[in-house]
Amino acid sequence: MQRVAITHVAQSSGMESKESLMDFTYRVNKEILDKAGLKRREVGCIVAGSADIFHSGLSCANAFDWDGIGAFLKEGSRAEESAFSFIYGCMRILSGRYETVLVTALVKGSENPDNDPITSFYGDPFYLRPVGVNESVVAAMQMRQYLERYGVTEEQCAKVAVKNLGNALFNPYADRKRRVSLEDVMASERVYDPLKALECAPKSDGVVAVLLASEERAKTLSKKPVWLSGYGCSMDHFHPGDRDLLKGQLPAAAQRAYKMAGIDDPGKQIDVAEVCEPYAFQELLWCEHLGFCGEGQGGRWIDSGMPLMDGALPVNPSGGVLATNPYPARGLYRIAEAALQIKEEAGEHQVGKKVRTALAHSTHGFGGQCHSVVILSA
Amino acid sequence: MAKEEHRIVKGQVMVPYEVALGKTWSMFYDFLKEEKIMGKKCPQCSRVLVPPRSFCPRCFEDMDEWVEVSQEGIVETWVYVNMPFFAQELKIPFISAQIRLDGSDTGFIHQVAGIDLTEFEKVREIVKLGGRVKAVWSREKKGNILDIAYFEPVK
Amino acid sequence: MGNAVAIIGTGQTKHGRRSDVCYPDLVREAVTAALEDAGITLKDIDGIVLGTMPSMMEGVSSTHFYFAEAMGSVGKPVLKVETCGSTGQSIGHCGFFWVASGMADIVLVVGSEKMSEGDGQATMTTVFDPFFQRTFAAGAPGVFTMQSMEWMYRFKIPEEKGREAAARISVSNHDNAMDNPHAHIRTRVTMEDVKNARIITYPVRLLDVCPASDGACAVIFATGEKARKICRKPAWIKGLGFRGEEFFYGESDKAIWMSATEAAAEAYRQAGIRNPLKELDVAEIYNPFTYQEMIFYECFGFCPRGEAPDYVLKGTFLKDGELPCCPSGGTLCSNPIGATGLIRLAEAALQVTGKAGARQVEGAKLALSHAMGGVDQFNGVTIVGSEL
Repeated sequence: MQRVAITHVAQSSGMESKESLMDFTYRVNKEILDKAGLKRREVGCIVAGSADIFHSGLSCANAFDWDGIGAFLKEGSRAEESAFSFIYGCMRILSGRYETVLVTALVKGSENPDNDPITSFYGDPFYLRPVGVNESVVAAMQMRQYLERYGVTEEQCAKVAVKNLGNALFNPYADRKRRVSLEDVMASERVYDPLKALECAPKSDGVVAVLLASEERAKTLSKKPVWLSGYGCSMDHFHPGDRDLLKGQLPAAAQRAYKMAGIDDPGKQIDVAEVCEPYAFQELLWCEHLGFCGEGQGGRWIDSGMPLMDGALPVNPSGGVLATNPYPARGLYRIAEAALQIKEEAGEHQVGKKVRTALAHSTHGFGGQCHSVVILSA
Repeated sequence: MAKEEHRIVKGQVMVPYEVALGKTWSMFYDFLKEEKIMGKKCPQCSRVLVPPRSFCPRCFEDMDEWVEVSQEGIVETWVYVNMPFFAQELKIPFISAQIRLDGSDTGFIHQVAGIDLTEFEKVREIVKLGGRVKAVWSREKKGNILDIAYFEPVK
Repeated sequence: MGNAVAIIGTGQTKHGRRSDVCYPDLVREAVTAALEDAGITLKDIDGIVLGTMPSMMEGVSSTHFYFAEAMGSVGKPVLKVETCGSTGQSIGHCGFFWVASGMADIVLVVGSEKMSEGDGQATMTTVFDPFFQRTFAAGAPGVFTMQSMEWMYRFKIPEEKGREAAARISVSNHDNAMDNPHAHIRTRVTMEDVKNARIITYPVRLLDVCPASDGACAVIFATGEKARKICRKPAWIKGLGFRGEEFFYGESDKAIWMSATEAAAEAYRQAGIRNPLKELDVAEIYNPFTYQEMIFYECFGFCPRGEAPDYVLKGTFLKDGELPCCPSGGTLCSNPIGATGLIRLAEAALQVTGKAGARQVEGAKLALSHAMGGVDQFNGVTIVGSEL
């Protein structure tokens, strides 16, 4: 079977940009092509990641995106969430038809309404939306169950925000850069009780691009290509009430990825993880589902220091989504950061240990309706 | 007991946005205030793009050179719009046109007006493909595309 | 080149105003039909691709969530792909690549739209940018009229001749739709009806324009190995291409239309087609506007530039002509946008497998399917054949 590698990564800052969305996109794509020494015309195929509903008042996001991603008269497509775009790009290479694929995800959160009104549009207009359901509302309900069922404490959840915002101080691309204490998080406004303001992701700007290449091409393009070794995705029921919010589809997605990558002990075999945690407690829940710790053990896990930057399995050394949340692009940010850790190019937020295998995770939808897991290897 | 007919729920979706124009497009509007139509020239393919872009979509290179283009041009195509729909900004009937301004290499989308638009048959005697039109400026400049009020046929 | 991929089943709803069902149920109707056609169950599906037009058209965004049960995707991997009107072709391409990549054996692809639940023209206007061009936008008819006028002017096509040929296209599509039980508009029209219909945007009249339809389509892709095992007559994917031009309307030449020309050229290259008019047996073209259908004939190399009206008038593209186009009645008679491009592919697959019923073109072995999207910005083409 063919193999596919990430050869290059480029990203913008998550902070508000005054550039137009088109220019903002172009800068990052220009940067990655320059890094790779490729001309736009030489790229085999281009896949965008963008969502109409997070798109500055423009429908059919792919139409506006096309120029900035360098896709004029090129083979290409667009997926609505950036982990989808990434895997679609990989499929194009694995099919043997393309040697290089450029995947770019983009959004300017600063040009959109807040995430809560936007995610309310995931709901149908006659049941979920009229009763006020959005992603934060479901997350808060999920958190309450998490606290009650397993006895995880609010402080343990808050520690995730302390850790990730602390890590973000070492990431030049992070949006929310603020040293916070446990007291700060606990004292921040209880926006969706038990969720506190500092436990909820901001809305950020962000363009991130990864260049994918076939095995042969990757070796000429990069000294240190990062290989895709596993992928899994799984979709849950639409109505949150149809599911157990604490079980979900992440274990299924992870198992698919682990099987493909030949991983049977994720806590030991994975060196670093970039987990999509728009709400602090979700990082703990997702880490359980990823098999990093046992069911209901998320609280104890963070107490143990394992997921800290210098821990045994650092989680979100980039600061994660709590620091930077360019919503439809955040999945590709996780993948790009995981690749940078393997390449040892993460700069100040490079983890102390040697990274050979990294996990990147993306989720969107009410209470994590859809999960994608990507395993990358040196 | 449920009724037989199927129900329809009506509503509207409104999503506010605020879009950054960035340097190039902001400057384009600043130039419009001075009654200048400015494009940008690609250093590689030499095309002049109106509206300007900070980069050439084909060559994927920065475009730094501003070029003033003519306020007159040729109608490449046009449409007489007499069909109302939700959130339409211009009052019908109006004419949308693609205009190749002299000195530019792209079609510029704007409206053709300044003539009696009520009867299509009379309009088509005046507005022709390949015909020349000229920008007419709004007296008050608001920094938007309607600072050029419309293009009128050149007699 | 690469791994062999085939279509092993297709399903369509009855298209039209479907206020008898909610949107997810409409989707499920197509999915169920496709599974039945392939003779498999959801258990056999490894992954699901879906897409619609702009997300908010029906008041719900990100419909991969909303359709989770209707598509049978609970517990399965999903991929949501969207490229405006060309979505139907783009999701088909994604289904192809998912299987060709070796990451799945069988992939279900679903396209849908419920146009009656939104304001299509208002939504499409928001494809234009809100600072340069949206002010002057007049939905799809405005754009397609501008393009058609530019094309006729460029190639010096007399207005009368263009009108006559466009009317013929309307009549033949309506005739063809009578043979298609899925079609939205099933009424015969005469040349006089078309020429006297209400003007939408001159010269385009009501019967030159597609309806706004509710509808869904599902297509199942499988590896060559699985296809041979499961399916008596698979439709093999021979070639595919997708191209897009610049965002701003007016920046590239829409009378020549590079994206349409090059998308087809790419698909022909992969399929080894040199003379499409001779080699293709049938074409399902995305034809929401009669005049525009003629521009596609030229872009796809069915006839020289500027000569499409002559070819139309001599009957080249009629059902018994040299290259029958849209024997299904085409987009002109059914247009649930997000499904439309996939319906073209499904119809092409039905033709080359001899399953097209009353609309079957006798002995069809090689078929082109196509969709167009954005403000004349995107074109996607897929070619299917009865032999690998």
